[in-house]
Amino acid sequence: MATVQVSEAEKVYILHGIRDDLRVDGRSCEDYRHMEIETDVVSNTDGSAKVTLGHTVVLVGIKAEIGKPRPMVPDEGYLEFFVDCSANATPEFEGRGGEELGTELSNTLYKVFNNKRSLDMKSLCISPGEHCWLLYVDVLLLQCDGNLYDAISIAVKAALFNTKIPRVHISADDEGGKEIELSDDPYDCVRINVENVPCIVTLCKVGHRHVVDATLQEKACSVASLIISVTHKGTVTCVRKVGGGSLDPESIFEMTEAGKRVGKALHAPLMKLLQQEESLGKKRQKVGFLG
Amino acid sequence: MSFNVSAKQKRKTKFKPVYTTHYSRVNPHNKTVFAAVMLKSKTFVKKTRSGGVMKIVREHYLRDDIWCGSEVCSECKQESTVLQRDACIESNLCPFPHYLVPDTNVVLHQIDVLEDPVIRNVIILQTVMQEVRHRSAPVYKRLKDLIHDKEKHFYTFTNEHHRETFIEREPGESANDRNDRAIRVAAKWYSQHLKTPEAEAEGLRVVLITNDQGNKAKAEESGLLVYRCEEYIKSLIANPELVDRLALSNNEQNEISSSKVLFPEHLPLSRIQAGIKSGTFLQGTFRASRDNYLEATVFVQGEGEDSTEIILQGLQNLNRAVHQDVVAVQLLPRDQWVAPSSVVLQDDGVPKDDETNEEEDGRRKRICVEEHMKPTGKVVGIIKRNWRPFCGMLNVSQIKESTRHLFTPADRRIPRIRIETRQASTLAGQRIMVAIDGWPKHSRYPNGHFVRSLGSAGDKETETEVLLLEHDVPHQAFSQAVLSFLPKMPWTITPEDMVKREDLRQLTVCSVDPPGCTDIDDALHCRELDNGNFEVGVHIADVSHFIRPGNALDKEAANRGTTVYLCGRRIDMVPELLSSNLCSLRSNVERMAFSCIWEMNHNAEILKTRFTKSVINSKASLTYAEAQMRIDDTSMNDDITKSLRGLNKLAKILKRRRIENGALTLSSLEVRFHIDSETHDPIDLQTKELMETNSMVEEFMLLANISVAQKIYDEFSECALLRKHPAPPPSNYDILIKAAKSKGLEIHTDSAKALADSLDVAKVDGFSYFNTLLRILATRCMMQAVYFCSGMDSDFHHYGLASSIYTHFTSPIRRYSDIIVHRLLAVAIGADSTYPDLMDKHKQSALCNNLNYRHKMAQYAQRASVAFHTQLFFKNRGILNEEGFILFVRKNAIIVLIPKFGLEGTVFFDGKGKTGVNLRFDEEVPSLTVEQHTFHMFDKVNVTISLDDSNIQHQKIRMALLEPVIPGVSVPAPEVEPQPKKPKLDR
Repeated sequence: MATVQVSEAEKVYILHGIRDDLRVDGRSCEDYRHMEIETDVVSNTDGSAKVTLGHTVVLVGIKAEIGKPRPMVPDEGYLEFFVDCSANATPEFEGRGGEELGTELSNTLYKVFNNKRSLDMKSLCISPGEHCWLLYVDVLLLQCDGNLYDAISIAVKAALFNTKIPRVHISADDEGGKEIELSDDPYDCVRINVENVPCIVTLCKVGHRHVVDATLQEKACSVASLIISVTHKGTVTCVRKVGGGSLDPESIFEMTEAGKRVGKALHAPLMKLLQQEESLGKKRQKVGFLG
Repeated sequence: MSFNVSAKQKRKTKFKPVYTTHYSRVNPHNKTVFAAVMLKSKTFVKKTRSGGVMKIVREHYLRDDIWCGSEVCSECKQESTVLQRDACIESNLCPFPHYLVPDTNVVLHQIDVLEDPVIRNVIILQTVMQEVRHRSAPVYKRLKDLIHDKEKHFYTFTNEHHRETFIEREPGESANDRNDRAIRVAAKWYSQHLKTPEAEAEGLRVVLITNDQGNKAKAEESGLLVYRCEEYIKSLIANPELVDRLALSNNEQNEISSSKVLFPEHLPLSRIQAGIKSGTFLQGTFRASRDNYLEATVFVQGEGEDSTEIILQGLQNLNRAVHQDVVAVQLLPRDQWVAPSSVVLQDDGVPKDDETNEEEDGRRKRICVEEHMKPTGKVVGIIKRNWRPFCGMLNVSQIKESTRHLFTPADRRIPRIRIETRQASTLAGQRIMVAIDGWPKHSRYPNGHFVRSLGSAGDKETETEVLLLEHDVPHQAFSQAVLSFLPKMPWTITPEDMVKREDLRQLTVCSVDPPGCTDIDDALHCRELDNGNFEVGVHIADVSHFIRPGNALDKEAANRGTTVYLCGRRIDMVPELLSSNLCSLRSNVERMAFSCIWEMNHNAEILKTRFTKSVINSKASLTYAEAQMRIDDTSMNDDITKSLRGLNKLAKILKRRRIENGALTLSSLEVRFHIDSETHDPIDLQTKELMETNSMVEEFMLLANISVAQKIYDEFSECALLRKHPAPPPSNYDILIKAAKSKGLEIHTDSAKALADSLDVAKVDGFSYFNTLLRILATRCMMQAVYFCSGMDSDFHHYGLASSIYTHFTSPIRRYSDIIVHRLLAVAIGADSTYPDLMDKHKQSALCNNLNYRHKMAQYAQRASVAFHTQLFFKNRGILNEEGFILFVRKNAIIVLIPKFGLEGTVFFDGKGKTGVNLRFDEEVPSLTVEQHTFHMFDKVNVTISLDDSNIQHQKIRMALLEPVIPGVSVPAPEVEPQPKKPKLDR
């Protein structure tokens, strides 16, 4: 993970600021940095989104493929996550440097997204026990400036919203053999319901208080953080503690409450933005990577 | 979660964002102008072979420097224009100059019309090109040829890449609708683009041609000038004959046919595919029977050796399949299986078809015998039509004013075709070509349209054209692309060439060929060495030096496969400059050669073999007769003659040894026509005579071929191109053994050697021709020799030559196989470099298949040409009396060979007008007893020969029995009474 060196004096300065609900960049403790979202940025995927949060840049692409359902749940499709920590983000990721982080991130993503409460997995099933859609969610870290979890979760949600799965029909012949037939109209596709897809809110314990969307400097002052995934209704679906330090039960409770509050507030503008973008259709000016 | 970590990490990201910038591209027309380029992407979803689904994204560039190609346009910065200013086709619909924009279906179905020289100034849109390419490769090729033809003024407009004419597919729009819209948008663009003052003055407009009603309506809505194809073509005042070439479209078919449905519906392709997968249907090639129009077989290719033939009988079961179509067949239940009928039925096209059908159905059922039953089925659908334009003649309708006529193809396996023409009276008696357009289920015959006339029937040129077309012999003039790879004249051997080659110019090399031969591909030399041994060289034209792998010249030669020799005409495999000049080893010029040089002792045993590329200077080009004369003339003692004598001596030893090893000497009569130099009509006919020198040249060619075959196989065991001659199955010899037995002789067929020996001793006193007849018969028992790739086969044996390995090396000018062998040998001796296709056994094998096909077709074409010239020869000779021998005895006829002309014919004992003749056929002997006389094989008979031209399409040499005299069967001598015309029930 990308780290910065923070001197003792700086630490004290940051700590004192947070104590007074005033962070180095002028935010209060529950404020996010400026965020930019663009969907449909990679044409050869079925759904994609790019999220910029401060200087953190995350690109998510989703490819839908036809696979075999898992034997335990024959009538459901499933998701596969892969996080690529590109050496573009930080030189530390070069070679196998980003592997550990990537695995950690993708394991969390499995926990958060790959269950039937977040997504209607049954809608991904084509024919029970034989064919289902398999969504490969590929996350590419382009720049690291703290708070990767939140940025990735928002990008995944946006990309799922954007995903268009080609419509297929199962044609059965007299002998009972089944064949998948593809619609010849490229506009004929299925969308995924993302209503219940949660977002992750990471809360960093700094001193006695906790902050949302910590920068790298703030992170360096923190001993432990709590990862909370929250749905649009404010339901917490997953909580994880990361970092070496310890958290007392009382502050965990406080942090959870704060996470619910922030998460709920995060969903509404996100969905509004996504729908707005969608309604522009073809007229939308694409910004892409050069914008 | 750790259990699946490693698996996940192996997987790479599924997409890679591409960072590219596209500022400008160089304008292809004018290198200095930079054009603005816009990037679009084309997205489509595709099913992969493994059943997955893949999204494919292609970059698509739009530009604004695509010019319109019209002479009147001043806006476009084009260097040359294609479309003319005065684009006039005389039409009463469009009296003004106009450009035509045909849509895809018009190009696909009316290509014959577009090919007419009248139709000029046509804009072919890229959308149309792509769709045509996708739907039909042959039409695409013809379209490409049209575009390249400068006289036709066809212009391709890349509308898909033009900024103003590119359109994206809209939601809910089908691919076809999108293309139609693209065509309309492009046509609209053109009509606006050409609204310049200059064009206005000319009155120039753009006319969209489409047969699609919806498309036409929409185009009219947007203000385009649009006509249906028929409408437009009928409006062409000056060229009414073009209407005949129109392919019939669907609405016209309705008028023609009665409402009665004659055939079951064909199944859609999706159901056929599902059926084939599940095994309910079988896929195979439809082969119509030559003799019975109600019968056909479908050859189903199984895995490995497991292939079956399915019989189809009756029009209903044939269900509109045409010879060579790929069809889906459903097997009938076992109790409906039938045996192939042996009756000859020709479709006479009488109106009462249905009644006769039923009658014949009944007859067939009676005929079938339990044990001969074969799998029987019916056609349920057509997988791929293999229609080509067919040669044939028009049966002019009885009704004078009728424009609908039946067309009878020359190939009996093709059904008659109904066509519409206004020029029936001109076309009667001509050979014409007709293409099939479709076969609706309520029509007895397929519908087609007239393509072109080949000339009047019976005419030499026309008939030659017909037989070339019918045998699929590529005979067009060589294209410019092919000719561009020829060496530039004047051509000489350069010093660089000399460095790489052995200089054999001082050797006394000479060539021996048939008279009049201009493509000399082999030459020989023989000299005595200081050690007393002989050095013998076979020098073969180095064609592979001129034909480099992969270029247009090479591809053309590979496609043609062989030079085809017809009577009085040669269809070259390589352009004449090579075949008759640069490659031909003519005398007294320096030529490049590929030499095979042996050192032999006086017993013709090979002591040393070497191969080298060389330069030779032949000292003489001799004919077989000239060479023979030199050898025989003891007064001649020059180097050439000495060399010939040496060769002759060695050849005799080689031949003797070959025959001892079991090589077969077979016989087939070859005839030679003496052609009148003025009229090119055959004036005399004689069988080819074989001289010692023929076999001398042959011996050394065989030796060279065997030596080369061994060398290339040693060097490239996987990809050597070889030639094999499989041993025939023993049952093939039955007729030969029976025939010999009838004369009290025994033929052993256990091995080639045994066969050769027993043929040698099979002689009958006082019947000197018997042995030749026997050998002719033995030839008929043989299998076809074929080319193959050594890596794809394990049996290399050449049965006829009794050689364990064989190839063709000695005639590269006229056979493509030899060129490949030359290349392999050149690589083997390090004289040339290799290329990937040469070492690819699958490509090699595919090439062999084509060569085998071309050789077979060339042979058939040759025979057909001889047969036609034989007919010409007999045409003006009235009726002749000749002596002949019975070659075969059949159920109702004898086949007679006339040695004098090398001519074979059939004498029938049944047929109309000869009913009640008492025939008894004994298959075991075999013999045929007619009334009191019994015919055996090899019996001597006297027959009359005449030409039967009652059926102008299939003229026949007719034979009738003179002697022995059988009352009521044999005919009187021709002087007394002309031979009665017999019905055309022969083959």
